Amino acid sequence: MSETTLTVSEITRLIKQELEGNFSAVSVVGEISNFKAHSSGHWYFTLKDSDAQISCTMWRGVNNYVFFSPQDGMKVTIIGRITVYPPRGNYQIEVRAMQPAGVGELQLAFEKLKEKLQREGLFDQERKKEIPEFPMKIGIVTSIGAAALKDMISVATRRFPLTELLIAPCTVQGSNAAESIAAAIKLLNYRNDVEVIIVARGGGSLEDLWAFNEEVVAYAIYKSKIPVVTGIGHEIDFTIADFVADYRAATPTAAMEILTPEKQELENLIRNYDDEITEKVFEKIDGLKEQVASIVNSYGFRSPIDMLKLYSQQVDTGLYKLNQSVEKYLNYQKNRTALVTSKLSSHDVQKTLSKGFVLVKQEDKFVTRAKKFQTAKSHTLIFYDDKIHINKNYEEKN
Amino acid sequence: MKKKTNQSSFKTDLQRLEEISIILDSGEIDLEDAIALYEEGMLLSKKCLTTLSEAELKVTELKSKIDVTDDNNF
Repeated sequence: MSETTLTVSEITRLIKQELEGNFSAVSVVGEISNFKAHSSGHWYFTLKDSDAQISCTMWRGVNNYVFFSPQDGMKVTIIGRITVYPPRGNYQIEVRAMQPAGVGELQLAFEKLKEKLQREGLFDQERKKEIPEFPMKIGIVTSIGAAALKDMISVATRRFPLTELLIAPCTVQGSNAAESIAAAIKLLNYRNDVEVIIVARGGGSLEDLWAFNEEVVAYAIYKSKIPVVTGIGHEIDFTIADFVADYRAATPTAAMEILTPEKQELENLIRNYDDEITEKVFEKIDGLKEQVASIVNSYGFRSPIDMLKLYSQQVDTGLYKLNQSVEKYLNYQKNRTALVTSKLSSHDVQKTLSKGFVLVKQEDKFVTRAKKFQTAKSHTLIFYDDKIHINKNYEEKN
Repeated sequence: MKKKTNQSSFKTDLQRLEEISIILDSGEIDLEDAIALYEEGMLLSKKCLTTLSEAELKVTELKSKIDVTDDNNF
């Protein structure tokens, strides 16, 4: 081998065969540095430890299966093969799969991003938007066909069917998930009829939910001019998206429940208003009635009636007195008449007759003077004890 | 389009109903106005309840036209 002189290409080809043959499947653990996601979709980075480093590539398509965004400083375990690149005379690992070196690595990435975003003010309470009470149009960012979506639709149907759901489908898992979620949030923000957005995903492992811990999702939520409510995973799962969101609900179902008043409650509310305004109007009428009554009963209003009563009493008294006077007068007159009658009785004709006087009656009239007496005609003599009729002329009678 | 008007008016109707209740509560209005408000409130509540009982959930799926973000990746 020593006597043979090789060209650069020849030696490089030998190295390539040697290396690629012996290291066709390696698993390497190391820390990522100089990570670059190229616009072509390929990833370039260096894997290192304290004493050595090695270049790595991960091609577009393959890196779709990485659920997290690799970051400098993150310790990962990769699987791949050694390739030699003759034009540069260097070797690298073509990465086929990448995993965080441990759950602690993800936790670390999570904490790092959380701290960074907190510094940037993405979690500030003051910038959180108010959640509408009765949203008429709710945008939903979730995976179409997922159980979470079905659950949310059924909650809305049951509680507040007056609302309209606009679903912006996205993938919620895998490498593109974060971008897909961010794009869906952005899509809903192009509209101006959506009152609130739910970003939701059903329960899953830390890896399954990882997309919601990505920076791009955090910024999409932060930049959304429409309020965002998150319902990601279960009660115990907290994601970066939850921290940025204007409201964090524990689950997708809970998120929908918060945004929809229950139909029955709403009906009760309306009926309550019914009762209230009825009561108030009747109160008003009663109040006015009382006011009228109090005016009518007021001293000023009553005085004419009182005067009338007073006058009628005076009239009554007057009448009484008048009656009394009339009665008195009549009595007086009665007495007087009686007196006169008794006086007259002393001059009674009978008494005179009893003394021997005689009354002469002719043609039914008393004859009081001699010259009125008609001797030729009949007449009656009235004595005290009897009458004597003297007939003078029969023919006359006939 | 018509449905949209109906829906947004439910909210305004409900707000108006609340407003009427508050105005009546203040008591500083004429009887004529109070009765007019009462009639308006009754109509609104009936309308709201009808809308509510007849409502059917509308679900629309948006077809994403944004491939802009994907361009960054590929």
